[in-house]
Amino acid sequence: MKKFLIFTIRILLLTVLLLIILDFIYTSIYSHSSKRSKVEQVYTSKNKDYDVIILGSSRANNHFVTPLFEQKGLKAFNYGMSGGHLFEASLLLKLMVERNYKIKTVLLEADLNLSNEERAEGVSARFLPYIHQSKTIRDHFSKENDFRALYYIPFYRYIVFDTRIGFREAYKTAIAATTNSLDHLGYYPLGNKKGNMKNNIANLKPLHNKYYEEIKQICKTNRINLIVVTTPMCSTVLGMDYFEKVIKMYPEIHNYEGVVQGDTYFSSCGHLNDAGAKKFTSIIISDFFTK
Amino acid sequence: MFFNSFSFALFLPIVFLLYWFVFNKNKSTQNAVLIIASYYFYSCWDWRFLFLLVFSTFLDYYTGIRIEKAKTETGRKIWFWLSISINLGFLGVFKYYNFFASSFSEMLNGVGLQTSPLLLDVVLPVGISFYTFHGLSYVIDIYLKRIKAEYNFVDYSLFVSYFPLLVAGPIERATHLLPQVKVKRSFDFEKAKEGIYQFIWGLVKKVVIADTCATYANAIFDNYESMNSLSLLLGAVYFAFQIYGDFSGYSDMALGMSKLFGIDLLRNFNYPYFSRDIAEFWRRWHISLSSWFRDYLYIPLGGSSGGMTMKVRNTFIIFLVSGFWHGANWTFIAWGFINALYFLPLLLLNKNRSNMETVSLYWDFASFKVFFSIISTFALTCLAWIFFRAKSIEVAVDYIGRIVTNRNFASQYLENERYNYEILLLVFAFVITEWNSRTQIEPISGKYSMVKLALCLFAIIALGTYSDYKEFIYFQF
Repeated sequence: MKKFLIFTIRILLLTVLLLIILDFIYTSIYSHSSKRSKVEQVYTSKNKDYDVIILGSSRANNHFVTPLFEQKGLKAFNYGMSGGHLFEASLLLKLMVERNYKIKTVLLEADLNLSNEERAEGVSARFLPYIHQSKTIRDHFSKENDFRALYYIPFYRYIVFDTRIGFREAYKTAIAATTNSLDHLGYYPLGNKKGNMKNNIANLKPLHNKYYEEIKQICKTNRINLIVVTTPMCSTVLGMDYFEKVIKMYPEIHNYEGVVQGDTYFSSCGHLNDAGAKKFTSIIISDFFTK
Repeated sequence: MFFNSFSFALFLPIVFLLYWFVFNKNKSTQNAVLIIASYYFYSCWDWRFLFLLVFSTFLDYYTGIRIEKAKTETGRKIWFWLSISINLGFLGVFKYYNFFASSFSEMLNGVGLQTSPLLLDVVLPVGISFYTFHGLSYVIDIYLKRIKAEYNFVDYSLFVSYFPLLVAGPIERATHLLPQVKVKRSFDFEKAKEGIYQFIWGLVKKVVIADTCATYANAIFDNYESMNSLSLLLGAVYFAFQIYGDFSGYSDMALGMSKLFGIDLLRNFNYPYFSRDIAEFWRRWHISLSSWFRDYLYIPLGGSSGGMTMKVRNTFIIFLVSGFWHGANWTFIAWGFINALYFLPLLLLNKNRSNMETVSLYWDFASFKVFFSIISTFALTCLAWIFFRAKSIEVAVDYIGRIVTNRNFASQYLENERYNYEILLLVFAFVITEWNSRTQIEPISGKYSMVKLALCLFAIIALGTYSDYKEFIYFQF
């Protein structure tokens, strides 16, 4: 039995050693990459100047055509992240400030994402490689239920989020394979209608969202002009009074939900296609950035 | 509580320590620990079904004794059929009632009689097919006077409920397992080490091969209408490795952990994808079920003793029943039927007992033929798996039709955000590893075992699929 216990301990030690080595390798790979995601681009950069930074979910990522801002002479980048919540938008802004970004205006999409304060697993995972190196990231995750496991167990974060930051992504990062997430200054154009032009948001309720409040506070502290807008939905949505509730709760949010009409401008009910996004962005530029 | 879960990683060492360090006094205390652990393990799914397990155990225990003690042949028969009826009755109600009710209703609707079936809103108790078959084999063996009835209820309960085999087999025989639980087990370092290696290899098969292949197979099967020929072909191959990795991985984990308690279980898989014909495949795939059907259905039906017609009839019966055992769906029956069709030429040509020796390949023409027979057997198996995996027979036929008609063999981006070919290298590496270890239980033991162990641990940690968690396929049976 003594031999067996020694044998078992050797296996456990070998496992721990592998976890530590793999954690070190993966973290090193992600720490030296800036080409595969918006998170790593921000994390590995410093001292950038922007007239406009766009934040939000896919409804920012697919709706704000950044090159149109550039055409107006505004240096802009769309940091909207598909699938992301305000948890990630707030953290990304914190990292930008920490890295001495000089930002004149933050254009934030805040509508459906106001309805929850949870992290978006797939998107938030992109921050996790840096959890030991960045106090900002560590603090932002510190209230999460699984923080201790994510922080203290070597390689745990790479295992539980293997589809986002696991072996395949680490390999692609190591060989410097590029993605399209940084093309078009962060804007991702969608094609014509392919999704279901029906949506039901009747069960959604806007919250007094702490991450939205955080973003407001960061902007106020750093003297960044904050413009918050809702973005278009198709006409067949059930529960459209959601947007009225948003405006009632947060009067500073500009309601642009209905500015683009017609299914021909939509890729799915909650997402404009490229033509719709251009139309929408033109309206936003005209309303806020033409003086 | 799955074998690859965190809770099981706590459960197993606790049971191990209690078994060898606290209750190691005699076989009764050892068995008591294992039976308590087994009942706890089973109750983790749904404690209510524990009553069903205990009832099923008691039924076979009691009827076994009554059969043995019966003074007349009629008495023996009454107790025997009572046990068989109740066992199959439970299986019928929980597993097949809704299928028969809805099929019957559909048939009536088909002839113009509008009916709506009365369906039961019940969950299939996990492992019911496995522990029912344990009990059935025990009672049949007593009835046929192959074994004596077991009078110690704890020992018998352990035979039925032993947690490594409780929910997905292997389907044990009283002649093999009961003698082992009747004696005190002594710790054997070599056996325990072998058990650890087998458990780790089973984990590799499950989390690295099966669960990774599953993400691709699901993305292809669930969207098969938009897939090209290459994706559809790969989908069938990935599912073949998914189900093999999943079930044989589970079996390896079960056999491996059982060795930690000094108990050997029946081998369930013997590298089936290296089979040279379909008969060999069925001698190597889910061996405990195949041999169960052979001993308790094929042979009692007359086996191969009554001429070719009888042989063919009995072969079709066991394949159809085997398909139906897997689940209450026509797809499983079709899968069984297709395998029977594959088997038929071998049976007619009396070649179903060839290819008994371990396969070898050399650089000669004979080996080329062997290689071709392995590939063609695998291709036939994949074709049958399409029926097993598809939602309906119509879908399976459509799936196969699209492989033939689409004729587009380009790479394709799947719904799981991966290209259809991305895990071919992983599958190939797995096949090579299995090929090189086909004469042994697992590939870790032997020379450089620590290096191979480290590679397996690396694969589990770095290459496993965890966020898209898959349950063991055979738990649903």
